[in-house]
Parts: sequence; structure tokens; C-alpha cells
Amino acid sequence: MAKIPRNFKLLEELEKGEKGLGDGSCSYGLADSDDITMSNWNGTIIGINNSVHENRIYSLKIHCGEHYPDVPPTVFFLSRINLSCVNQTNGHVDPSKLSCLLNWKRNYSLETILMELRREMGASHNRKLPQPQEGSMF
Amino acid sequence: MALPKRIIKETERLLADPAPGISAIPHEDNLRYFDVIIEGPNQSPFEGGVFKLELFLPEDYPMAPPKVRFMTKIYHPNIDKLGRICLDILKDKWSPALQIRTVLLSIQALLSSPNPDDPLANDVAQHWKENENNAIQTAQEWTRKYATA
Repeated sequence: MAKIPRNFKLLEELEKGEKGLGDGSCSYGLADSDDITMSNWNGTIIGINNSVHENRIYSLKIHCGEHYPDVPPTVFFLSRINLSCVNQTNGHVDPSKLSCLLNWKRNYSLETILMELRREMGASHNRKLPQPQEGSMF
Repeated sequence: MALPKRIIKETERLLADPAPGISAIPHEDNLRYFDVIIEGPNQSPFEGGVFKLELFLPEDYPMAPPKVRFMTKIYHPNIDKLGRICLDILKDKWSPALQIRTVLLSIQALLSSPNPDDPLANDVAQHWKENENNAIQTAQEWTRKYATA
């Protein structure tokens, strides 16, 4: 298989993100539409139903380094959230605690990460955790 | 992973007999991925500039067109802020009879003749239509600022 270089993969992801993903529960875009390196991204997740996160809107920032997608991006929640894979002092998503980051593959994408984080919110060990006030930020 | 003969042939010719003002060199670790340099054509607002681009031949090349992007900032109505290029042969007018060389020559020609009626960067195109001299001046400034080594 042809190995798609970083920038062309990110352009594909950008175009997919601009069209909108699936049911709209996750979205992402460039933090700075002028950034020719396409390094910094914003993400949004709408909390999964049947959990304490239902209808909450979470903002995230995602950094794709120069070796993306050979290495996964770094992901931070900007909105406060109590989730087992999220550092409670700075919002950092611990890559050793999120399966798609731990077992990262080149064909994964920003969408893969956001969707898995959303599923995590509904996991039995997270679904009922007490949550900070809605709208508060790290 | 075996590289199709067509890509090997094209690469050999690009290296042995490059088009004037254009160079394309494949990455050692990814022979479908090229570092491209296009010199701004004479008598264009981009004259004197050296523009870096990247080009990738997807799995289904030559049935699908190459992907090409400017990595140097450029003020041009058919090139957007992320370096994406609006050029018909990179999209619906692609034909497997075209080659990397023809694509790069077309991009070079696009620098000589910006087409504000088929814009990708709307604000730039509008500037070009409303005050062409002033837009050309901005393009020259950007060329000096971003595209000179």
C-alpha cells in the first residue's frame, strides 16, 4: 500500500471534518485556518446518552506533531470532565489509558480518537462518575 | 513494496531531464512522495520566488491524479491558505495520459495566469478582480517575504 504522508492525510481529515462526521456527535477542525503546518486542531464531543455526560458539550485541543500519523497526536480536554483516562489537573488524555492511543495505527484518525473518547464516557467505569459543573474549564 | 514501473520511469525522467524551473525529488523512504520546487515564472508576480510544494502519488495513480500542495505561502486566487490548488487536471479533468511533469508544468503556468473567475481563495480572487494592480503588488510582496531563500 502507498504510505500517505502526514500533510495529505491531514488534508483528507480536514475535508472529512468540514463535511461533518456521522451523526454530528463529534466534530473537529483546524484551530488556525491559516496554519500551513496543520498542527493544532479543535475537537468537540457531545456527551453520550444514558450517562452523566448526556447533552454536555466538551471541547478538546489536539496537537499533531511532525511525525503524525506514525505517532499519535496529543489530546487535551479543555472542558473539565471526570473520566478515567483524563488527567484531572490539566485535562491531558493519558495515552496509556485510551486503547486507540496505546495501540495507535497509521490509518487511525482524529475521528477515531474522538469517537473512542465518546464511547469511554458510556463505559461502565465512567458512566456514573461525579462530574464537575457543566461548562467549567481546565 | 514494489513500485509500479510507470512511477519508476517517470521519476527517472524527472531526475535526468527536469523541466526548466521545476525540480521534483522523491523521498528516500517513500518513493511516491516528492519534494517539489517551482521557480516563479518571469513576468509573473511570483518572479524571483522559489516555491516549495509536496506531491504524493496515491495507491491508484495513474488512474487517480497526484495530490499536490504548496508549502510556501503564496498570494494567488487559485491557491488557498493551506496551499491547496484549484486546477481542473488535479480533479475531474485528470487523465492517466497526464504525468507528474505535465501537472507541475500546469501549476507553473497557473502562476503566470491566475484565474480569479474560478477561485479557491475567495478574498484573494475578489481583490484580483477589484484592483488587479494592487493584488499583483501584494503577490509580489508575499513572494519577497515568503518565497525567497
